[in-house]
Amino acid sequence: MTTSQSTYLDDPTANDPVMEIRNATVRFGMERGESRVLDDVSIDLERNEIFGVVGESGSGKSMLASALLDAVVEPGVLDGSITYRPQSGEPVDVLELNKNELRQFRWEEVAMVFQGAMSSFNPVRKIDTHFIETLTSHDYDVDEGMERARQLISDLYMDPERVLDSYPHELSGGMKQRTLIALSLILEPDVLVMDEPTAALDLLMQRSIVSLIEEIKEEYDLTILFITHDLPLVADLADRIAVMYAFEFIELGPTAEILQHASHPYTRLLLKSTPNLASPIEAMRPIEGSAPDPVNVPSGCSFHLRCPLADEQCVDVDPRAYPVGDGGDHVANCHYWEDAPETIPMTEEWDVEGIDAIDSAPGPSRADGPLVSLEDVEVHFEKEGGFLDFFSDPDTVQAVDGISLDIYENDVVVLVGESGCGKTTFGKTAVGLQEPTAGSVKYKGQDIWDLKRTGGDGSMSFDAVRRALQIVHQDPGSALNAHRRVGTSLEVPLKRWNPELDGNDRKSRIVSLLEHVGMAPAEDYIDRYPHQLSGGEQQRVALIRAMLMNPDLILADEPVSALDVSLRVEMMDLMIELQEQFDTSYLFVSHDLSNARYIAEKTGGRIGVVYLGELVEIGRPEEIIHDPQHPYTQALRWATPELDFEGGGMGGESPVRNIDVPDPTNPPSGCRYHTRCPEAREVCTTEHPEPREASAADFHEAACFRTDERHEYWQSPSITDD
Amino acid sequence: MTSDRDRTDPGRAEKSHESAVSTIPDGGTVNTPFDVVSEYEETRRDRLKKLYDTYVYAPISIIKRDWRARIGFAIVLLYVFTATVGVYLIEPTHVTEGPGLAKPFETWEYPLGTDDMGRDLLSSTVHSTSEILKMILSGGLFTVTLGTTVGALAGYKGGVVDTVLSSITDVFINLPGLPTVMVLALMLPITGNPYLIGVLLTITAWGGLARAIRSQVLTLRQEPFVEAARSMGVPSYEIVFKDIVPHLMPFVVINLTNAARRVIFSAAGLYFLGVLPFRNHNWGVTLNLAYSGGAHYKTGALHWFLMPMIAITGISIGLILLGQSLDRVFNPRVRARHEKKLAESQLDEVEPEDDDSETMIGAA
Ligand code: SF4
Ligand code: SF4
Repeated sequence: MTTSQSTYLDDPTANDPVMEIRNATVRFGMERGESRVLDDVSIDLERNEIFGVVGESGSGKSMLASALLDAVVEPGVLDGSITYRPQSGEPVDVLELNKNELRQFRWEEVAMVFQGAMSSFNPVRKIDTHFIETLTSHDYDVDEGMERARQLISDLYMDPERVLDSYPHELSGGMKQRTLIALSLILEPDVLVMDEPTAALDLLMQRSIVSLIEEIKEEYDLTILFITHDLPLVADLADRIAVMYAFEFIELGPTAEILQHASHPYTRLLLKSTPNLASPIEAMRPIEGSAPDPVNVPSGCSFHLRCPLADEQCVDVDPRAYPVGDGGDHVANCHYWEDAPETIPMTEEWDVEGIDAIDSAPGPSRADGPLVSLEDVEVHFEKEGGFLDFFSDPDTVQAVDGISLDIYENDVVVLVGESGCGKTTFGKTAVGLQEPTAGSVKYKGQDIWDLKRTGGDGSMSFDAVRRALQIVHQDPGSALNAHRRVGTSLEVPLKRWNPELDGNDRKSRIVSLLEHVGMAPAEDYIDRYPHQLSGGEQQRVALIRAMLMNPDLILADEPVSALDVSLRVEMMDLMIELQEQFDTSYLFVSHDLSNARYIAEKTGGRIGVVYLGELVEIGRPEEIIHDPQHPYTQALRWATPELDFEGGGMGGESPVRNIDVPDPTNPPSGCRYHTRCPEAREVCTTEHPEPREASAADFHEAACFRTDERHEYWQSPSITDD
Repeated sequence: MTSDRDRTDPGRAEKSHESAVSTIPDGGTVNTPFDVVSEYEETRRDRLKKLYDTYVYAPISIIKRDWRARIGFAIVLLYVFTATVGVYLIEPTHVTEGPGLAKPFETWEYPLGTDDMGRDLLSSTVHSTSEILKMILSGGLFTVTLGTTVGALAGYKGGVVDTVLSSITDVFINLPGLPTVMVLALMLPITGNPYLIGVLLTITAWGGLARAIRSQVLTLRQEPFVEAARSMGVPSYEIVFKDIVPHLMPFVVINLTNAARRVIFSAAGLYFLGVLPFRNHNWGVTLNLAYSGGAHYKTGALHWFLMPMIAITGISIGLILLGQSLDRVFNPRVRARHEKKLAESQLDEVEPEDDDSETMIGAA
């Protein structure tokens, strides 16, 4: 990346824009006034570069993508000019194209990959139909085109025959997304616009796709505009990065420049608020405040309400793009860009007071034995057979296969793994929302499912268990009943468990909790419906609701992944703070190792790595991050993008041999990871490794033969050179 | 950090909802929010006002903005008015009250004309309205209550409950509708009680609704908010009726109006066939009399048919319009926009439909 970077900088002919956008503005007329969802954006897209656009949701970054294709939905109005310069031939004024020309332009010259691969395919058509239809509707030669399609698909590490012959639902999310990329390239466009193409995917898959994008770009001579909220992800890929805030660019420059010398306060704060593996957790800070409403963008600098450097000038004068450094290719829209690095240092000694409370986390108390103890838990689901499918055995999905885990009081365990690996199912089993098909779940020594069926020995009721184990869901929007006001939703646990309270007591308790988590004025929030809250606020309400039960253990199922990056740290801090106040334990589920590390490190908890229904490694974050023993943990570690302020490249080759996760209805024999493991040897295909001590550190276990120096593994022949 | 704060605009604290976590007092030393005692006072008046806002003001103001609802409501209200007040304004008619087969608008005494026995058609239409409305009410409520309850319980509970309830449902779905009603009408001692007739007419109709509701509940029960309720130990019936059923209300209301229309049509049809027992004249009976009186070939007797038919079509259209428009009343987004109290405080609020350019594109 660095090399392509400098060649582009030194090359005088680099100034060969393939698209020029000038003063692009998108307006929507609304009841409450005119909203500008893209505000006077000008940019040149250089030929053959990867241009990253980073912004939080609602920053207008997707609108930019639509504007490029003149695809702004009604009643939005797009002004400005957009010029496309093909390699040969006349420049094209995109906004002047008629309907037919536009249709041609949109796939043949500039193609687009959206986030939801799911909705881009017609579920009742096979994949090859999609390719053929696209080719015929653009009058391309089908045979030649399909040849290209096969090539593209195998370039994306998939089996062309299998993919083309499948229905969309038969492909996994990652395969669908890659197929979509292949489909968008079938008409050989020059420019590829990718709008959050990997957001719905797991880190490992995201990272694999990102490295594929680089390969594809070289091979097919593409210019790529990559839009994302995920700064670390695009930092590995892009030549230049533009940061959007409040519907305009606020900083633009070569990637290394942005990472090392970010000069706009927002960029700096964004970098700091992004959980990652390298910087100390104390340096991660949320950005206060929230992004502005498109109708009501603050005057002057749109960031002044949240900016620590703001003064009168910022309120009155909209800052122009100030050049940063000598290169002339790094600009920041901030009056005080020179002061920003000093005021907002990246890695500094923060005044220790603020973080004191969190540092003194009590940590688990193991003296009283485990709070919840799971032993050899198995959850197998039967997949419904097809219609008239009487004779074949139903497929069994082994969602969880023999996991044991003890959770103590004030303990925090974070489960990480790819989607579909069973971590959520396991979590639900731990809080008694999913009955295991084998093994036992004990709460304070009582088997909770026995208790539910037989009433146990009378020392404890199932109600008490029910109350002690709670859940916070991933998507706060659907975790709250859309038909109930916040107050009514929050009253439910109180009505159920604190019948001694009257209406006013309940209200005041709810009000004080809402205020406690920063939702003021609470009286106003109480009467709102969930849709009137932001995602972060919804998640807080869901969290409070769980806390009102005064539980012992909360399963937090990806509680921050639906939130914007800059809000994640804040939310995690809040959860940790509440943990201390309410003396609960957490079982977090996450697909993101940096979030896992943040939580586990701050609370003195553990990280457990789950692969295909098995716990393959568990230990303190220090070991899991810095000394991972299981090859799968190492792969996750590789997949977690890092904000490398020194400007290094991507961390080497992909450590997995196979991008896709095997089918969970038919998991591989022996060690389940052997199909992807770079260290796999013959013995791994037949023998199943049991968890064993992985290092000298406490609580560090891994299920891999490599942790045992005397195992026959070391004599066994390798199977990786296929 | 402190110096940062000092430089910021003092007005921002109110503006940003997200900012306030930093205001949490450090550590858990002082009050856990569990110790809070009552400081929040809500008087009965406030509470009544809120109830009024939610259940009266908001629905009405939503309905006021929708032409279908306005027309539908007007039509249904007209019928209700006729059934309640109209019967006092217009005297009941009797045989040979006027001339036989007087044409509509011939005399102001019989504005809608008379039948062959000289009975005033306006009066007989008006006086049968209340009976029909009673049938509609009981039939509609019966279908919807039974269908929703059985369907929701079967879907939510699963297992044995589901098997039993679904089997019963299937039995009723598979009963041949009209013949069953006819046989039951002859067998049972109904004697023209309109409420019982309403129930009888829909005895085979609730099964379809129950089955549709069940399949929707099967999806809804997987939703996180239901799981959350379950994890809080909320009893099943509360989950079903407070969490799940409100999400199905638009569907239920459409079915309510459809069931009501079904009652009118079957009632008219069966009275016309002379299958149902009756005490007084009603629209169906009038049709029957008109038919046996030969109104379809006698010139000048057509109005005899038309009056009851217009009455039937009118209420049916009213119910359709109402059913279509009422689903908005159950939409929390629409409701919220119409509630007085909130309406003011939300002027600065981002409206969900247009807050985010991302969603618009995503949907495109
Ligand atoms: S112009 Fe002022 S308010 Fe805007 S980012 Fe720079 S210092 Fe902050
Ligand atoms: S047991 Fe073998 S296949 Fe499994 S992780 Fe270890 S080395 Fe890889």
